[in-house]
Amino acid sequence: MNEIVERALDRPAGKPAPERAALRARLAVWGQRLLVLAPGIALIAFWQWASGRIIKELYVSKPTAVVERLYELFASGEIYPHLWITGQELVFGYLIGVGAGIVGGYALGRSPRLSAIFEPYVMAFYGIPKIALAPLFIIWFGIGMWSKVALAAIMVFFLVFYNVYSGVKSVDRELVNLAKVMGANERQLTTHVYLPAASPYVVLGMRMAIPYSVIGVIVGEFTSSMQGLGLFIHEASATYDPAGVFAGITILLAFVITANFLAGRLERRLLRWRTPMGAAPTDI
Amino acid sequence: MRDSVLAFDDIRQDFPVPGRSTAMRVLDGISFEVRAGKFTAVIGPSGCGKSTLLQMAAGLLAPTAGAVRHRGRKVEGVNREVGFVPQQAQLFPWKTLAENIELPLLLRGVAADERRERVAQAIRSVALDGFGNHYPNQLSGGMQKRGSIARTLVYRPDVILMDEPFGALDAQTRMVMQSDLQTLSAEVGATVVFVTHDITEAILLADDVVVLSQRPSRMLAHIPIDLPRPRDMFEPFRNPRFDAAYETVWAAFSAQVAGARRPH
Repeated sequence: MNEIVERALDRPAGKPAPERAALRARLAVWGQRLLVLAPGIALIAFWQWASGRIIKELYVSKPTAVVERLYELFASGEIYPHLWITGQELVFGYLIGVGAGIVGGYALGRSPRLSAIFEPYVMAFYGIPKIALAPLFIIWFGIGMWSKVALAAIMVFFLVFYNVYSGVKSVDRELVNLAKVMGANERQLTTHVYLPAASPYVVLGMRMAIPYSVIGVIVGEFTSSMQGLGLFIHEASATYDPAGVFAGITILLAFVITANFLAGRLERRLLRWRTPMGAAPTDI
Repeated sequence: MRDSVLAFDDIRQDFPVPGRSTAMRVLDGISFEVRAGKFTAVIGPSGCGKSTLLQMAAGLLAPTAGAVRHRGRKVEGVNREVGFVPQQAQLFPWKTLAENIELPLLLRGVAADERRERVAQAIRSVALDGFGNHYPNQLSGGMQKRGSIARTLVYRPDVILMDEPFGALDAQTRMVMQSDLQTLSAEVGATVVFVTHDITEAILLADDVVVLSQRPSRMLAHIPIDLPRPRDMFEPFRNPRFDAAYETVWAAFSAQVAGARRPH
């Protein structure tokens, strides 16, 4: 809202041609983007410069070497099996965790009786460092993909669960009562009141859970695995190959950035009603 | 009374007080009836349990003793024959104005064509044309309030319960809204129970004024207001009969206000 007002204000009184105004707006957007990129570029430049000058290249590699390594990995196809496995683990772990978190958080949020019984247990399990479960999951689910899916899912689950749980519990009682008087049955209460009211919390939980799913998967692969980016990074660091380590991390970073971008799209779509597109009229 | 729609019958309400073994009595033997097609205002000092009466009529709260009867049937469980206009507009923030107004029709299984038609008509009736696709946070307080009223009128409930709906509005907006409410309710012949602490508002809008005392509330008076309609909401004092009505209500109410001013 403010943005629009500001944009309206800094338009000169002379009323420029619409194309010129649009061009200026586009330039402003690109300027902003460049500003965001600047610290990152500076960091990479410093890294390149410092490597071999201040710190031994063996310890930190350097950006050009990392890029070269990435190119090799993709050109030779060496990385694809790892990518494919880790990608599946991330997607399954994340989706299972989010799904279970929404269902569990919703059920407990809606039913005081259920939450009275189960909340202490969930609370207790929440306190367990999930990473400590990694070896156990390998025993339970094997050395393959599913032990990593389980680890990622359980890390995601608790975050989403707590967000949805508190979201559903904080729904305004008066809105619920109003809907009931209007004639809503339980199912309609869910779709028209509880779920939309909890949606900001659901989205928040989903965003927060993205890095946790990555941690779960990578820790699982570090612990024991046959394929995957975690294994790749682990092996690279065990063989004094810092370029390989940073190449793996760069790929993970790309995963997280993509997921964040998608989550941002979802957020804008679901929470349209929270970001007004124009100023509120001042008349009655 | 044959034309009674809603009857409050010897209502008593106790609320538990945290940290005390005895409950606090809020309502004590309230009985009155709401006539069909009439406007009943309930006034009383703050905290006297006026809003509690509305919650009982909507079936959201069961009285400790006594009963609310709606067309002779005891209200038990949520009463879907009423409409509720709360203190704050309470439009659903995730729905546009049109979707908000459509919701009760949707919940009641009204067909899509009819829904569209009735929503459009309701939006027009509260002069919000062109704002159907706005979300509540894009509307001013007065517009949200209009939306809230339209959302209730649209499904033509048997009784409309209003809980100090204009309390949070500025004085000018309030007068306009009072005037509009008079017109709207007269058009559809609505039966309205209106809770307020504003004597002027009660007299201007109501056919019957029920005066409650301080907690524990008893009924002090049930005063018919027979000022002709439509009434002027903007300059009520120009009508000499307004003064007389005001005096009658104030006579019943003043002791409560004086009581509130007594040092504790």
